Amino acid sequence: MQNDEICNLWQAQGSGPAPLTLEELRRKGGKFRSQIARRNLREYVVTALMMPYFGYFAWTSRWPAMRVGNGLMMAGLLYMAYQLHRRAAASDAPAEMAWKTCVAFHRAELERQRDALGGVWKWYLGPLVPGLATILGAGCMAGFQRSTLAGMVALAASGVVALGMAWIGRLNMRTAAGIQRQIDALDAATAG
Amino acid sequence: MYGAALHRLASAYEADPDKRRDLLQEVHLALWRSLGSFDGCCSLRTWVYRVAHNAATTYVIHQRRSRASAWLSLEEVGTLADPSEGERAADRRHSVDRLLAMVQQLKPLDRQVILSYLEGLDAAATAEITGISAGNVATKIHRIKNLLAQRFQQGGHHAE
Repeated sequence: MQNDEICNLWQAQGSGPAPLTLEELRRKGGKFRSQIARRNLREYVVTALMMPYFGYFAWTSRWPAMRVGNGLMMAGLLYMAYQLHRRAAASDAPAEMAWKTCVAFHRAELERQRDALGGVWKWYLGPLVPGLATILGAGCMAGFQRSTLAGMVALAASGVVALGMAWIGRLNMRTAAGIQRQIDALDAATAG
Repeated sequence: MYGAALHRLASAYEADPDKRRDLLQEVHLALWRSLGSFDGCCSLRTWVYRVAHNAATTYVIHQRRSRASAWLSLEEVGTLADPSEGERAADRRHSVDRLLAMVQQLKPLDRQVILSYLEGLDAAATAEITGISAGNVATKIHRIKNLLAQRFQQGGHHAE
């Protein structure tokens, strides 16, 4: 079989399902927009539900450190929600698909993912650290004031939380490093 | 107008028929949503393929982020044995399936170039769509021709 014949064979494949009608496209476009809106709403609802929880302890706790910690958690959650909103808005750019070449678009998409994952300590986990550290520290102090065992339990729980956050951060950094390798490979493939 | 070509493009990016339909809808939607930005700076065909490839690439990046390392370059695919080597049937459907299976393994850039070649686009149009230099496109097309010759021509001689 000659290469021309292979190309002809390729192009002779069936046309598949009927193309979408304008009405279907409108419906799909509306669905896409409502999916994004629902996702954003979910994030805002979670934040909105957490705020009264931390707000309650920030207002009523007997320990000043707990009040400060819960206040910091509220600030961290608000900052995280703002960053999620900002990033979701930035990624919704269909026009770029038309004027960017495939390589430029692919690279930009990988860079966006790499930066979102690589900067997870700055915008996702980081903002929660001051509040969490203060609350856990205060919990440990309160535990040791009660008994050594209670203090040790609080300390162990704090360690588990810290390890969990470190693990999530490390996982994201590793994925970001993998994406950077893809960017490097793309650059190497397009050089020349 | 480009319905059949877009279906072939979707089949090169997604093997599962149900997911392929979703991808095809994503591609149509991307074309529709970016329609307003078409200013005639390139041909309609270039614009359609560019948007379609970009939409499909975004789709596969999100679908297969963890498996991106499994994608192969043209050179790497060339070194692999054809799984259906022993069935060199003249069956046209079988040939297209083998071709599709091969294309679906490729890295996005190589997939874009081979699809452009199979769709009959010239090197200049391929360079305009992908953004790589005409020289780089020519090198890749040379490899594609050798690869297709190895895989699909009786006796395995190379076609130049």
